[in-house]
Amino acid sequence: MNEQIASIQSAALELIAAASDVRSLDDARVAVLGKKGTLSLAGALIKDIPNEEKASFGQSLNAARTSITEALEKKQNALQAIADAATLSGIDLTLPARSLHTGGLHPLTLIRDEAIQILRRMGFALADGPEIEDEYHCFDALNTPSDHPARNEKDTFYFNSGKLLRTHTSSVQIRTMESSAPPIRIIAPGSAYRRDEIDATHLSVFNQLEGLFVDTDVTLPDLKGTLEFFFREMFGTTTPVRFRPHFFPFTEPSFEIDVKLQIKGQAPRWIEVAGCGMVDPAVFTSINATRNDNALDPEKVTGFAFGMGLDRLAMIRWGIKDIRLLIENDIRFLSQFR
Amino acid sequence: MNISLNWLSTHLDLSGKSIPEISDLFTFAGVEVEGIITKGIASEKIVVAQIMEAIQHPDADKLKVTKVDAGEGQLRQIVCGAKNYKVGDKVPCCLPGTILPAGFTIGETKMRGVESKGMLAAAEEIGLPKGEDGLLILPADSPIGVPVKSLFDSDTLLELEVTPNRPDLLSHAGMARELATLLKTPLISAEKPSITAKEASADSIKLEASASCPFYAATRIDNITVTESPDWLKQRLTSIGLRPINHIVDITNYVLHETGQPLHAFDAAKVTGAIVIRQAIDGESFKALDESEHFLTSEDLLISDESGAALALAGVMGGLDSGVTESTTSIILESAYFSPSGIRRTSRRTALSSDSSYRYERGIDPQGVLPAAALAISLLESRSTNSCITQTAGILPEPPSPVALDLTKLHHLLGNSISTEAAEEILTRLGLKKLPDGSWQIPSFRLDLTRHIDLAEEITRVHGLANVPSRFRATFVPTSDVDAAYDADMIMRGRLAALGLYECQTIKLISETQLPDILPLRPMQDGDLIRVKSPLSEDHAIMRPSIVPGLVASAERNARQQTKSIRLFEMGRVFRNAGGGKARDQESESLAILVSGNTNPSSWAAKDRAADLYDAKAILSALLPNQEITLKPKDRESFVLSAEIKAGEQTIGVFARLSPSRERQLDLGSPTFVAELDLAKLRKLTVGPAHAADLPQFPGSSRDAAMELPIDTPNATIEAALAIAKEPLLVSYECFDLFSDPTGMKIAADRKSIAYRFHYRASERTLVLKEIDEAHKRILELLKGITGLVFR
Repeated sequence: MNEQIASIQSAALELIAAASDVRSLDDARVAVLGKKGTLSLAGALIKDIPNEEKASFGQSLNAARTSITEALEKKQNALQAIADAATLSGIDLTLPARSLHTGGLHPLTLIRDEAIQILRRMGFALADGPEIEDEYHCFDALNTPSDHPARNEKDTFYFNSGKLLRTHTSSVQIRTMESSAPPIRIIAPGSAYRRDEIDATHLSVFNQLEGLFVDTDVTLPDLKGTLEFFFREMFGTTTPVRFRPHFFPFTEPSFEIDVKLQIKGQAPRWIEVAGCGMVDPAVFTSINATRNDNALDPEKVTGFAFGMGLDRLAMIRWGIKDIRLLIENDIRFLSQFR
Repeated sequence: MNISLNWLSTHLDLSGKSIPEISDLFTFAGVEVEGIITKGIASEKIVVAQIMEAIQHPDADKLKVTKVDAGEGQLRQIVCGAKNYKVGDKVPCCLPGTILPAGFTIGETKMRGVESKGMLAAAEEIGLPKGEDGLLILPADSPIGVPVKSLFDSDTLLELEVTPNRPDLLSHAGMARELATLLKTPLISAEKPSITAKEASADSIKLEASASCPFYAATRIDNITVTESPDWLKQRLTSIGLRPINHIVDITNYVLHETGQPLHAFDAAKVTGAIVIRQAIDGESFKALDESEHFLTSEDLLISDESGAALALAGVMGGLDSGVTESTTSIILESAYFSPSGIRRTSRRTALSSDSSYRYERGIDPQGVLPAAALAISLLESRSTNSCITQTAGILPEPPSPVALDLTKLHHLLGNSISTEAAEEILTRLGLKKLPDGSWQIPSFRLDLTRHIDLAEEITRVHGLANVPSRFRATFVPTSDVDAAYDADMIMRGRLAALGLYECQTIKLISETQLPDILPLRPMQDGDLIRVKSPLSEDHAIMRPSIVPGLVASAERNARQQTKSIRLFEMGRVFRNAGGGKARDQESESLAILVSGNTNPSSWAAKDRAADLYDAKAILSALLPNQEITLKPKDRESFVLSAEIKAGEQTIGVFARLSPSRERQLDLGSPTFVAELDLAKLRKLTVGPAHAADLPQFPGSSRDAAMELPIDTPNATIEAALAIAKEPLLVSYECFDLFSDPTGMKIAADRKSIAYRFHYRASERTLVLKEIDEAHKRILELLKGITGLVFR
């Protein structure tokens, strides 16, 4: 009997060795181990074998089964390896990728977000206000004389209603102070409008970021520390920052801020980046009159304000030579900012 | 304003100060230096040198090797290519280290192997007018070694921007006074000419408008011969870019730029009787000397005479006929104080401005009115033999009131970075005087100093912010509504960029011709558009009621660049009136999207395919993945395939395709889909779930249904039927196949085949087969009710 099993085993191993693919291997498995397979049929004979030989027969049967199963598994793995190799052959890693769209954010959004992220870390919250403004919020409350040149129809867009397009985001200062009490610590990014012909350095609609901090103990050292920190976060921790005396109707003292930067291909130079100053007490007085209280008592409350041109910051950051690129939306330009 | 350094140096010793130092001085005084123009030779390192030897360069036909004596004790070897000199000539020699006007620096170098220590220069190379070709040959008696600069006139013109609060700086004397303060150096004192003034009789000056003209002085000077100005005067004027005319006009111009006080000279022969200072009559016409004609109002101040003739628009511009000409023999010289606001109003309304109006409208020094007249008369008298008397009318404005300085506030403001003594010393240097009561008397030329904060500003300015410490501190601020909106917008921006869209920024003012492209959330009615009163151009005349026109223009621009795939978005404000121009102007925020051209960038792996409506809809769905986005057809003028965009039951925007004719007109070449969405609503939909849902505990099962339908039956009919079903076991379904055949071969041309997969599940148990089959049967029964539907 054991010889019969040995011959079944050797025939099976030959059959397995001869199998050339998964299917013929499976055929071989069925032919040997299947319900009517040669080994299974041989195994069924155990009931006819004398009891004293049963143990020996069982052992040979198991040995044969183990050997055949191992051979099957080994062959299965070998065939699978060949099949796996086949799926990998002919793949050219150097072919270009399939294409996916990759869009991007506008450089103005990127620079605005960078500024906002820095200022939020410094404890400023966002505020906003209307772009179609009245003269009161754009000029009067900001201590701008009624015959100030900026109020000219030559420089400012007016509507028949008497309203105008805000010439700066500073009007948001007023709107915020009208509706909240100190401490006020806000930033307001937004559009502003001036009647400038559009050219390489001017847009009639441009973008600013306004900031305001009003509290009981706000001083020039706060203004200086805050804005130095901001511009060094923006342009590098070693960037020289200077404050030049200037004049704005709604702040006193007022300054313009320069940072010393090297723009590609140029010698390092001072570049104007922002205006700032201590809120003029006259601004508090006029807001108190509107609020009908003394929440911004100029004897107790001080503050500083600042404003910067975001289009200009973008131009400085990326060395953009023509501001019109920021409104033309040429994908060849936009795709650089991904 | 232009300032000549030579002119400034007549008031103040600036020797030893470099141009950058002087420029910094202005900068930190608060005066912006907008330009520096150097005339003549700037560098000290260009010296007179004599050519002692010139031999042929061994390796270059066109070059000579010269030895020059630049007064250094030994000869200097310089290679030179010029031909116009001979040995013994004196020429400019640029020593190493010279920076030429063209911007480069002369060094020691080798030219074709021969050492060259400097450069011999032509006139134009060192900043002089171009002369003959070759080197500038200097006079034979020029001393060797001295800077060539000293042989020629040189000057530096500074173009300065003076802030409106500092009219006292709008003159050379005023600017010198400021610099002397900052430099702590004395002004060069000069003898001030005196003046004889007396109150005018009614037959010489009639001051009828003392509010607009508090003070008027007129000086009649006879027996004048109008001539050319002397060279020094012509030079002063040309040095700041003014053109000399004749000595009368030149003197008035000189005095203005010297003192800041505007003067005007009338031809006395053209004045009938007294000078009359009066408000204009409404509608009165005035012809200015620039030949422009203006119709005045009673707000404008006129200088006229007793015949009523207008001689000048006070403080702004002289009349065409009253001015000094070559035949003038007598003049009346005006020196006045006009009220700033009146001059501003007139200048603004008439759009006339002049050096005079520029100063009057900012405010002149009342105490400078008569001295300026005296200066002009002394300059005139030096050319004629008349002694003259100045007649005056009115009174000069009171000197400014004293101002108190609050030291507590000052030290708080400056972070205790300055001592009281130093602060007071600054005010004293600026010409203020401490009064016994502790307040400060303001000089007459500083009309801008009226409050404590004005004095604090002066102290800060001179002290310098560089000397103030920096303080780093913050307060806690809660998130505002604007913060929340900003964050939601940034999330949506990120999603759209990841979906392959580029963010745009377009101008918020649009043109009439862009109106067909507007796709506002609600259709516009007449009068809803907000137009600016005086647009710069027709291109930017209307506040955009929708962002789509801007994106369409951007798409057109990109299509012109042969861009094959255009996917754009923009977020921002839109503007409209809420009720035909009668209601409030509204500002709201929109998101606009535009999709045109290829679905994907061209590649070997897939054929190019132009994006269709479903690609555009896919972007909307991916923007709000947790919302069921549907399009509900709704007509919009000038668009096709227009629809409301719905998120569930809520309308959140408008969708459409540009009309094919508009696409052709713009050369877009592909179907162009646009959407305008209400950003305020989107922000709320971007918020994530309030609670995370439990995952299903029990398996579900799917059943397919293939149907044939008339080709024009919308898919919404099926969805509507499924909605009616309210089948509790149906958790979701999807359309997974759609097929039609225009040839009618595989399916009748007027029919389509559509296949749906339905997913059934119960949340609390595993469904048995029978339940699923019954549920599916209920669904199919409902679908059967759709007209023309048959199951395949």
